Amino acid sequence: MRTLRSWVLRLAGLFSPGRREDEIRQELESHLQLHIDDNVRAGMSPAEARREALLRLGGIESVKETQRDRSGVPLLQHLARDVRYAFRVLRRNPTFTAITVVTLALGIGANTSIFTLVNAVLLRPLPYSDPARLVMIWGTDPRTGGREMSVSYPDFEAWRDGTHSFEHVAAFTSRSVTLGGAELAELVPAVQTTSGFFRVLGMNALAGRLFADSDETSEAQPVAVLSDAAWKRQFGGRGDIIGTTITINQRPHVVIGIVPSEFHFIPTEVEQVYTLLPRETNREHGYLRVIARRRPNATMAAAQAELDVIATRTAAAFPRTHAGTGIALVSLEAAVGAPVRDGLLILLALVGAVLLIGCTNVANLLLARNASRQHELGLRISLGAGRARILQQLLTESLLLALAGGAAGLVMAPILTDALLAMLGSGVPLPRIEGVNIDRTVVLFTFGVSLAAGLVFGVVPAAVAAPSALQASARDASRTIAGTRAGQRTRATLVVVETAIALVLLAAGAMLTRSFLELRATAPGFVTGDVLAVGLRLPVSLAPGAQRETFFEELRRRIETLPGVRSAGFISSLPMAGGRDTLQFRLKDQPGAKPLSANFNIASPGYFKTLEIPIIAGREFSNADGASTNPVIVVNETAARRFWPGRAALGTEIAVSESTSTLKVIGVTGDVRQSDLGTAARPEIFLCALQPGPGWSTFALVVKARGEPMSLLPDVRASLRAVQRDVAISRVGMMEDVVAGRLAQPRAYTILLGAFAALALILAAVGLYGVISYSVTQRTREMGIRLALGSSPAALVRSILKTGTALTAAGIVIGLAGAYAVTQSIAKLLPGARGGDPLTLAGVAVLMLSVGSLASYLPARRAARVDPLAALRVE
Amino acid sequence: MSSDRAEVWQGTLALMILKTLDTMGAQHGYGLARRIEQTSGHSLAVNYGTIYPALLKLEQEGYIASSWGVSENNRRAKFYTLTGAGRKQLAREAREWERTAGIIARFFSPKASS
Repeated sequence: MRTLRSWVLRLAGLFSPGRREDEIRQELESHLQLHIDDNVRAGMSPAEARREALLRLGGIESVKETQRDRSGVPLLQHLARDVRYAFRVLRRNPTFTAITVVTLALGIGANTSIFTLVNAVLLRPLPYSDPARLVMIWGTDPRTGGREMSVSYPDFEAWRDGTHSFEHVAAFTSRSVTLGGAELAELVPAVQTTSGFFRVLGMNALAGRLFADSDETSEAQPVAVLSDAAWKRQFGGRGDIIGTTITINQRPHVVIGIVPSEFHFIPTEVEQVYTLLPRETNREHGYLRVIARRRPNATMAAAQAELDVIATRTAAAFPRTHAGTGIALVSLEAAVGAPVRDGLLILLALVGAVLLIGCTNVANLLLARNASRQHELGLRISLGAGRARILQQLLTESLLLALAGGAAGLVMAPILTDALLAMLGSGVPLPRIEGVNIDRTVVLFTFGVSLAAGLVFGVVPAAVAAPSALQASARDASRTIAGTRAGQRTRATLVVVETAIALVLLAAGAMLTRSFLELRATAPGFVTGDVLAVGLRLPVSLAPGAQRETFFEELRRRIETLPGVRSAGFISSLPMAGGRDTLQFRLKDQPGAKPLSANFNIASPGYFKTLEIPIIAGREFSNADGASTNPVIVVNETAARRFWPGRAALGTEIAVSESTSTLKVIGVTGDVRQSDLGTAARPEIFLCALQPGPGWSTFALVVKARGEPMSLLPDVRASLRAVQRDVAISRVGMMEDVVAGRLAQPRAYTILLGAFAALALILAAVGLYGVISYSVTQRTREMGIRLALGSSPAALVRSILKTGTALTAAGIVIGLAGAYAVTQSIAKLLPGARGGDPLTLAGVAVLMLSVGSLASYLPARRAARVDPLAALRVE
Repeated sequence: MSSDRAEVWQGTLALMILKTLDTMGAQHGYGLARRIEQTSGHSLAVNYGTIYPALLKLEQEGYIASSWGVSENNRRAKFYTLTGAGRKQLAREAREWERTAGIIARFFSPKASS
């Protein structure tokens, strides 16, 4: 109680410092006067009386100081005074201040901008009511390592009906659909769901209504929900859209509602159309993702336990398809961020390392500057400042610098973030990217990082300066040799630390650059020049058997006769465009053996020629291969080696599991990098598009042009419409761009890390230069003496170089261990990257050593040019 | 002076101030310092200055009050008086002190060691 009262008074004292000061002065004056009077009465001379009184009081200033501390809150008062003082000091050294603030602004700005992404993608809650209760439910198969597997419709039904932990359970999948009929047909992203989907998410319709269970019955009319974006883009935001009939995949659907497009389940694409999934009974067809809303009182563990029971039951009931499989529960928030979490966190760690190097440099600058302020600090100590006060004042300066840097960084962050997003662009599809902006969390993060940075670069120099300032006050003339030595040692340690961190960043950057260059130089197995690729979605009317084959043949004939076209062909899975189909098959001459599995692809005559994929043996498909001739296939080199080891594949036959007909190998082609440049070719089998085959409906048309391929597009479109009006065209692009798109992600990571690494190298070099340069300046006198005593300038240069190189080498040795570990973990994120590669590490070490030597050579040369006489006169 | 001893000293000094004000009535800082010095038989030869932080602390805690007045030889001075709370605090502290002193005394008395 008493303590509280006195604190209130002390805080109140803060606001009237003048009056309080006055009061203390008057009281002490009156004290002295009374004492002097007494002394005079006792017979002293006035001068003597005054001297004695002052002596007994114990130094007016020191009493006043204690009194001040007691009457206010010293920490706060000192803080205010220190801030004012720090402002003055920083303004007096504009160059130092500018360099420091810019260094920090860059470092903190970069951290803020990466954190902005982390915040938007990983931290911010999803735009649904109570998103923490949303979960994804996946199938797992521990035997094959499958962790997040799509499941079948019967599986979904078992989970929905057999659990009590969830309010709603829904399944969905995303397949593009053809929107509109005839002329207007367009392939748009779409989601097929069960009726509970929007109830799980807790989403409400912007207009109309959402799916009801009655919409799912087989006799109900097909219905569709549009996203806000689709409504505006496809239907011009028409007010009367609800209740109208639109054509989706050639079937009429009634539009029943519109939902906001804030969130979408296909990364980077705003969903256009939601339709209902037809019920299915096939347990082997796994294509559904399951989402559910937990009941408020059901824990994750309880829900998981329920699912485990179902998993055991299903595995026992359907051993052929489900033996050994399990069910895994994961929160939606974790699931959404999962694909990019590691990448983002590694970026955040690395950009943090860059800031750490920046801080080390600032710490070094501060050390040097504090050394030159020894005199001032010593004076302050002589005047009665304690060690803690000096520390506090120096730290205030550091924090002020850091906050200035942080503020500038916060201003820079949006610019950096925009640049970052532009660069990551299509290569790294970030979920929830539309929500990237600077909010309170980001500002708090920046503030925290700034404070931390201020402490990191402020504590060490302040701790070094304060005791040496004490010594300075004691022995002013000796120029604080001891203090300088402690400072020099600290500076050397800091340089070693920053060299080590920089080496780690360099190694990461070098590894990425190297694997990116290798990747770019990788031959994809086909020639991309002058090739136009057009995505097609065939209507159901073009079923395999007759119509589809005629369509391919007719369209290809028309296009190949267009002026400016060299050749054309169709393929079901275009290389590097995503998507692949795996089927099982048996070799005809080994009927008893286990079934084999390979990628299956449907290619038309002209496909291999158009992409210039070499035919190694046999021939490619021709128009002569048709429904009436024997079914034929072409296999790639990897398949030929894998399935027909030591013998010719040509002329042998295979049988695809469910089909009875046999397929004869008529050709072997060169390998093609099907999924991306970093992934080696898988065994691949091409079926002939002119013969009956699987009813796949997405294809790509590739056209090799004589001139500018894009100029062919109108003619290609016209030909397509002439042959079949309701084929939807999806993506159109140059084959080069398709391949480049696959390089976008590694390129983005490479540029980003390369920039970090370059920044780290420069900062480390500047740090080393500063330290060597400073030590040379400090030792000018010693240099002069050594030169005067006959030491050669070359020997001086050598000795300084040795110091610099030793520091760099120490940093490199420490850094190599870190570099090895860090590159290993980054390599896991990128196809084709190798971590801990000795050649890369060695190269980086040599680069660091050279830069370090150069950074110490420049000041060394200056030392050698010292005029001995001038140097000796310095003191 | 180390901080522990300083605290003990501050506590002791505060008690001495309260006791002095109790017996002498209103008094200024110089007078208090002089009086305490005399009472302690000059065994506490400390700077007079140290009394002022102690006075301020007591005033902030509400045990004493201060007002400007004129001394017996016509000098302006700040006079301190004991408040009601101060009187209670003095009684409490004195009791506490006597008990502590008694305990310590028993430890050091010859009877206790036998």
